[in-house]
Amino acid sequence: MPARPTAAGGGPGWANLGMDIVSVKRVRRLLEDHGEGFFERMLDPGELADCRTSSGLDLLSLCGRIAAKEAAFKTLRVRGRFLPWRDIVVRRSDGGWPLVELRRSAADMAAQSGITDITVSISHDVDYAVAVAAPILGDPSGLRP
Amino acid sequence: MSEALQQVKDWILKRHPDREDIPGDLDLIENRLIDSLSFVEFVFLLEQHSGRPIEMETLEVDAIRTLDAIDANFFRAEVK
Repeated sequence: MPARPTAAGGGPGWANLGMDIVSVKRVRRLLEDHGEGFFERMLDPGELADCRTSSGLDLLSLCGRIAAKEAAFKTLRVRGRFLPWRDIVVRRSDGGWPLVELRRSAADMAAQSGITDITVSISHDVDYAVAVAAPILGDPSGLRP
Repeated sequence: MSEALQQVKDWILKRHPDREDIPGDLDLIENRLIDSLSFVEFVFLLEQHSGRPIEMETLEVDAIRTLDAIDANFFRAEVK
């Protein structure tokens, strides 16, 4: 298991925010070069469905999902690993706001950091989508040594 | 350099026209030649050239940190 860095100034109640920005231009190129199937490596069917409108896959929604996953991953502060794309799932709630579900490797990483949940907010405007994420900490006494 | 590794190098250079070359020991992550988004496409490329499926969720950064590491892990490693 990769070593985990110590957060400077960390302690009980300490939480690390995550933020990310995604360019529509980059995602459009991926879509043009590889087709929609490429994004199945990054999003599960439910997430992709959330990104569809009556006219097809909505690029800004897709960029927002990607940014939210990256932002959520950054709160975990894991060294030596890439974002486990399909283990951090971002779905649209009935109310319209995004909800994060951590699965498999992401759930393990979160548990080791004492994180029980992650909340995200997404925004986009024409060429970019941004997301910010905040972890919800569990009982610090439950942390592994 | 193998043909497969050269294609990987060319792929990176194509996306970073400001660079003329990539030394084998250059840290691709620290130098922002590969990030989370390009990583997915990069793994796709590695799978095509190595002929081996790659589990993205368990792949460690060090395995693709440099061209030398990519060569050792994907193009010269014994397939068991």
